[in-house]
Amino acid sequence: MDKLTIGDVPEMFEKVAEIFREKKEQLCEMDAAMGDGDLGLTMSKGYGALPGFLRETAVEGEIGKQLMKAGMKMQNEVPSTMGTLMSSGIMQAGKAFKGKTELVPADMATYVTAFAEGIQRRGKCALGDRTILDSVDAGARKAVALVESTPDATFADVMAAAVDGADEGVKATKDMIPRFGKAAVHAAKAKGVVDQGALAGYYMLLGLKNYFVS
Amino acid sequence: MKKIINAPENYTDEMLRGIYASFPDKVKYAAGDLRCYCTARKKDGKVAIITGGGTGHLPLFLGYVGEGLIDGCGVGGVFQSPSAEQIYHIAKEVEAGAGVLFLYGNYTGDVMNFDMASELLEMDDIATVSLAGADDVLSSSNVEARRGVAGIYFMYKAAGAKAAGMGSLEEVAAAAKKAGDNVRTVGFALTPCVIPEVGRSNFELAENEMAFGMGIHGEPGIWNGPVKTADELAAEAIDEILKDMPLAEGDEAALLINGLGATSIEELYILNNSVRERLAAKGVKVYRSWTGEYATSMEMMGASISVCKVDEELKGYFDYPVDTPFICQR
Repeated sequence: MDKLTIGDVPEMFEKVAEIFREKKEQLCEMDAAMGDGDLGLTMSKGYGALPGFLRETAVEGEIGKQLMKAGMKMQNEVPSTMGTLMSSGIMQAGKAFKGKTELVPADMATYVTAFAEGIQRRGKCALGDRTILDSVDAGARKAVALVESTPDATFADVMAAAVDGADEGVKATKDMIPRFGKAAVHAAKAKGVVDQGALAGYYMLLGLKNYFVS
Repeated sequence: MKKIINAPENYTDEMLRGIYASFPDKVKYAAGDLRCYCTARKKDGKVAIITGGGTGHLPLFLGYVGEGLIDGCGVGGVFQSPSAEQIYHIAKEVEAGAGVLFLYGNYTGDVMNFDMASELLEMDDIATVSLAGADDVLSSSNVEARRGVAGIYFMYKAAGAKAAGMGSLEEVAAAAKKAGDNVRTVGFALTPCVIPEVGRSNFELAENEMAFGMGIHGEPGIWNGPVKTADELAAEAIDEILKDMPLAEGDEAALLINGLGATSIEELYILNNSVRERLAAKGVKVYRSWTGEYATSMEMMGASISVCKVDEELKGYFDYPVDTPFICQR
């Protein structure tokens, strides 16, 4: 495929919902050790609510508005820290896609970049703080680099680059010290373990990639 | 888990139904959403003060909505933040032409959601100012990273009194900030509490053990050890507070001796007495004290001690009469 239409967006997010359903227990267990133990629940509930909602809002005809509304929907559904960060990412991408009715492969690099910006703006976090930003930002940089070096990259290529970068970003969090939220309280336990928020960011990108490769 | 409930997932909404049915002349909800808790006695031209936070801390947060205090409250699930959209709906309902003060506890999720609500309101040309209570001395040595606990009571009182006197948004925010800058809290828990949907406590304490410095969601404190006497606890808490906010001989302070949910009022007055003795030994005069449940952690056993340094301005705010379904001061 060389174009993604507004009607395709719900299916793309269905793939994200699918991966969070699969990884629910793993994320909850990791979160219980470091936070309050509901990360898997909020992610599967938050992304689970999107495909149906996106189908309803596809009638808007514009992907930017559709994503803005989806972000608000997710925020209302799961207003926890990670729910709000994810929804801020989606809304920032919505702003970047203002007026667009279809997307080309390079737009996915924009999606991931805007997503990282939304997280950073809302969470007031920096790279190296051991958060979801560390994986999504690394993914964004790889996706952008690919789009710049390979103008004819496909959707699958761009998302594969993003997932690759995010994977490296997740691994790098093993050596980072948490500065935010409940995780900061458990800082000593964090050493050598990947950050569960960064891992959720990786899964989000993996879900998007799955849509283009399957 | 031993609780008087129906289904754990209905804990928050069924509680809210009970409250609305009991006080139909005082509170109502906005946007058809039970969790958008608003005063039913909106006053034109007054700054609207909105708070929010998780369920499980009554009378915090919604119990402060009423006359002389605040106007709206976003109600989250147990220990969860309300959403930005809910806060937005509440602001649209209670805003009365003079702007909105957001006043809430310093927790990551709440900060982000109130910020998001501010941006939504900006699009509607409604001005907001945000302030976060961060009074828990032992939660962090970094003042800005501290959690908000019972000390927000004094911020509500200052903001509420200033707003009732028809102060501007800047004046109301300044009053709340002044109270916030002068209040410090130290808390301790003797037993854990159980989140209904989780069904078991998230930490354990042995029969004779307590956790000193623990937060109101069970965040770890600075030590766990054998239960100490009221005098020892008062001394340790007051010393931590004065180390952080030195008070000179002759300074005056307001006190809040707060129960966490399952500690008897009798014990709280024993603690009140101990705290007064410790402060007297330091030459600090107690202007006025409030003792009871002001910020709980469901059925947690334990207490918190808040000390707010006062001057004539703050005394005036704290003496201002208030009347809500949960708190009354004439």
